Amino acid sequence: MTKFIFDLDGTVTKQETLPIISKYFGIEAEIDKLTEETVKGNIPFIESFIRRVYILGQLPIDKVSDLLETVDIYQKVGSFILQHKENCIIATGNLECWVDKLAKKVGCCCYCSDGIIEDNKVVKLTRILRKENLVERFKSEGEKVVFIGDGNNDVEAMRLADISIASGLTHMPAKGVLSIADYLVFSEEALCRQLNQLL
Amino acid sequence: MSSAKSVIISCAGIGSRLGLATTKALINIDGKSLIRWQLELFKDIEDVRIVVGFQANDVVEEVRKYRDDVIFVFNHNYFETKTGASYYLGAKDGNEFAIEFDGDLLVHPDDMKQLLEIDGEWIAYADKMSDDAVFVKTNEIGDVLSFSRENGDFEWTGPCCIKKDKLKYSSGHVFNQLEPYLPMKGIKIRACDIDTYDDYQRALEFIKRW
Repeated sequence: MTKFIFDLDGTVTKQETLPIISKYFGIEAEIDKLTEETVKGNIPFIESFIRRVYILGQLPIDKVSDLLETVDIYQKVGSFILQHKENCIIATGNLECWVDKLAKKVGCCCYCSDGIIEDNKVVKLTRILRKENLVERFKSEGEKVVFIGDGNNDVEAMRLADISIASGLTHMPAKGVLSIADYLVFSEEALCRQLNQLL
Repeated sequence: MSSAKSVIISCAGIGSRLGLATTKALINIDGKSLIRWQLELFKDIEDVRIVVGFQANDVVEEVRKYRDDVIFVFNHNYFETKTGASYYLGAKDGNEFAIEFDGDLLVHPDDMKQLLEIDGEWIAYADKMSDDAVFVKTNEIGDVLSFSRENGDFEWTGPCCIKKDKLKYSSGHVFNQLEPYLPMKGIKIRACDIDTYDDYQRALEFIKRW
C-alpha cells in the first residue's frame, strides 16, 4: 500500500499555525525573531523548536487548541485525505495538545510531538517528532512512502521517502526541500493529480 | 483531451551548444520565451510535467506566469544525464502514455494538435534542418525503422509517445529509449530543433512562416 505522509502547516492548512498563535496572544515580536534566526540558519531547527515550545507552553492549551481548530484546510487536499484515510498520515512537530482538534478536523491519523501538561500549560517537552523516523518505520513495514512537505524540518523525511513532493501551495518550499524533492507543485489541482497517480 | 496521456517537457539541460548563456526554455523567440510557445501547444492537456534542472528556479518562475497546475519534476543529475533520463523521470509517476517534448523544440501548432489526437504510440520527425541531427529511416508508409547519426530519410526531432512502463532510467538520449521498440508508427511534422545559434536563427524564420 502507498502511505502518504503530509506535513501539516502550509501543506494541509492554508496558513502556518505558529504566526496565528503568536499574533493572537501578542507575542509576534519574540516568535518572529526566533523564526528569522532559524530561517537564516543561525539557530538549528531543533533548538528553535524547543525554545518555541518554551514560549508557547506558557499559553493556555485549550485556547491554542480552539484557535488552531479554526485554521482553514486546503479543500481538495482535505478531500483526498478523507477519501483515502487509511493511506494518509499527518506528521507535525506541533504538540498533540495544540493540534488535536485540528487533526480531528483533517480526519486521518496524526503523529505529533508530546509534552507534560499541568494547569492547562505545557511544563515539559518529552518527545520531538522526527518525521524521518516515521518514514523509516513505514518503509520497514514494506509500504511505499510518499512525503509531501515544504519546510526545513521535512528535508530528511523527504530524502528517505520513496517519492517526495515539495508543496508550494502556501509559500515557496525551503531551498533544502527543493534540493532533494522529486516533484514541485503550486496548486491543489497539480498536487491531487499527482497523489491520485501514485495511489 | 484524453486523461490517459501526460506531456513531459524536458527543460533540465544546460543548452551549452547554443551559446546564449541561458537555459533554452528561456530564450526569446519573437517576443516570447520558448517554454511559453510550448505551453501554448499544450493548453488543453491536463497533465503537463516539466522536467527541470539547470536554472530550475528561473524556469519555474517563467512557467508560473502562464500556468500554475504544472507538475515540476526534478532531474537533479542533469549534468551527468541526457534527455533519456529526464523522459523517464517525467513519465514514471504520470499517466499511462507519456508524450516526450524536448525543451529545445518548436512544432507547428496544427501538427501538434493532430499528434495529440492520435491514440497509442508514435514517433514524429521532420525534414532535415538542424546542424547536429539524428536521422530516422522510414519504410514506405512512414513508420520509423531505425535511428542513425550518419544518414536517414528525415530528421528525428520528436515529440514521441510511448507507454511509460517501457521507459527505463538511462544515461542515453530519448531515441535510445525508443530503439528497443522499433519499428513504430511514424508521423512527419513541421518542427524545428534548436541546438546551435544557427538553429536559433532558423527557428526565428520558421515561426514567421506559420
